[in-house]
Amino acid sequence: MAEASVLKLQQALAALVLDPEGATFEDDPAAFARSQGLPEKDAQSFQQFNEGLAAYRELARLSLVEPIEIMFPITKALLEREDAWEPCIEAFLQARCVASQHYRDIAPAFLGWLAETGWGQVTWPFLLELAHAEILEVLVARFPETECPSGLHRDPRPEDRLVLDPAAQVVSYRHAVHQVSEAAPIPESRLTHLLAYRDGDGRPQLMDLTPAAATLLVQAQTESLVEAAAALGLPDLVATMTLLEELRDRGAIAGYHGVS
Amino acid sequence: MVQERFTGVGLGLRRPHLEAVAARPEHGVPFWETCPENVIGDGGRPHRDACAILDRDPVLTHGLAISLGGFDPWDGDYLRELGRLLIRTGTPWHSEHLCFTSVDGSCLHELLPLPFTREAVRHTVARARDLQAHLPVPLLLENITYYAELGRAEMDEAAFIAEVLEGADVGWLLDVNNVYVNALNFGFDPREWLARMPLHRVAQLHIAGHKRFGTLTVDTHGAEVIDPVIELMQWTLARLGRPVPVLLERDNHIPDLEVLLAERTRLQVAYDDILARPMLGAGHG
Repeated sequence: MAEASVLKLQQALAALVLDPEGATFEDDPAAFARSQGLPEKDAQSFQQFNEGLAAYRELARLSLVEPIEIMFPITKALLEREDAWEPCIEAFLQARCVASQHYRDIAPAFLGWLAETGWGQVTWPFLLELAHAEILEVLVARFPETECPSGLHRDPRPEDRLVLDPAAQVVSYRHAVHQVSEAAPIPESRLTHLLAYRDGDGRPQLMDLTPAAATLLVQAQTESLVEAAAALGLPDLVATMTLLEELRDRGAIAGYHGVS
Repeated sequence: MVQERFTGVGLGLRRPHLEAVAARPEHGVPFWETCPENVIGDGGRPHRDACAILDRDPVLTHGLAISLGGFDPWDGDYLRELGRLLIRTGTPWHSEHLCFTSVDGSCLHELLPLPFTREAVRHTVARARDLQAHLPVPLLLENITYYAELGRAEMDEAAFIAEVLEGADVGWLLDVNNVYVNALNFGFDPREWLARMPLHRVAQLHIAGHKRFGTLTVDTHGAEVIDPVIELMQWTLARLGRPVPVLLERDNHIPDLEVLLAERTRLQVAYDDILARPMLGAGHG
């Protein structure tokens, strides 16, 4: 490959920024460069420009970590109590799982890494739920603008299925992770159901749901309203329809379509 | 037409100001600059406000993380969306940074310096030409602030930038604050540096604030523009001999819109003042 040395230099700078070995760079910059497979002339350059190169480690890590600290303040507070925040961030950076060029995707990448690796979840079984709850409103707020399916109608009929707004999410947690704070970051162990949606102004809203309402909103997307209500033992279909109309008016439900 | 639509001092469109700007058509800002990465694939209220502004006001586009000098393949879906956005805004050009931001599929979200080598020139020229072929408008490349040379240099920064611009046959988004900061960090005269450059390729200027940390000055975009940088902007405009648009960037410690509008007005006065004087040069560096 004609540009092999350019790529090698870029890989070395990425390692300096992201890898744990980068922390030892300032002890012996030339040795670090050699350990990255760079030739002696480049190793000497790393020695000469060690201060500026070290600044890149600081600046780039700040760029990657800042949105995580902003989006996950309670997760951070929880882990800092056990001196575990820095190791968590180190492991995340070393995993190199920020692939998107969109800055707003850094925080979701951290959540995805937590989910994929299970990091810390033996010690804190609620950690993933907590992190998810912290970013839930942002995920809903910034969900890409998406066209709703065509042919939906506004008013529900018993035989219809419901269609949530594309940005809306029904989530269930085993812990009350939406009620914690930085001062008290450990959630109560209690089943929690939430509806996160965008209102008519496009702003995020969060609503506590009963277990029956949460199940209805999920089930009624694949079976008729009357079937879903009956399966849940909801005898009063009128009350169910009233709830659904309210959620449509708020912007959580896009509309209804008949069973084909 | 471009000269009529894009002159004076514009502002970078930032998230904290979207709602206020969208609600205020008479803001006095001649044009905005937006980062496509912050618009493409986004949603919700701020996105709606951003789109309303882009559809209403003159807008230039400025990319952050395409990794022009990197080796990762372009994201085809993103490029298609980018092309649609450039058409929608009617921007006369699109700019990217002369740097790399991703390695082996990992995005570092930092503007990282390219080696000042012949090999890096060849690689970057090929990438810029390829990117240009994917865009519906001319590509500009912006000189970055750098804090270290990456590997043994075979030329200086000025020669590297000039060779890439000439080799790729693209325009130049000249960031005068970056020149100033690099001059501080590496000890050269910014005017002598600029005088060596292909100024006929300059289509736009950037201006911003910076901050000193120990022995290093960092391009923070987090403070007011200082007088020496404004004077360098004026010197550059005089040398160019034409009213290229100037864009004020502010990305950290973002003040209220009114404060930023006042700073823009101060820069506009400096811009108008220098352009009212007899020009120093013919614009050919």
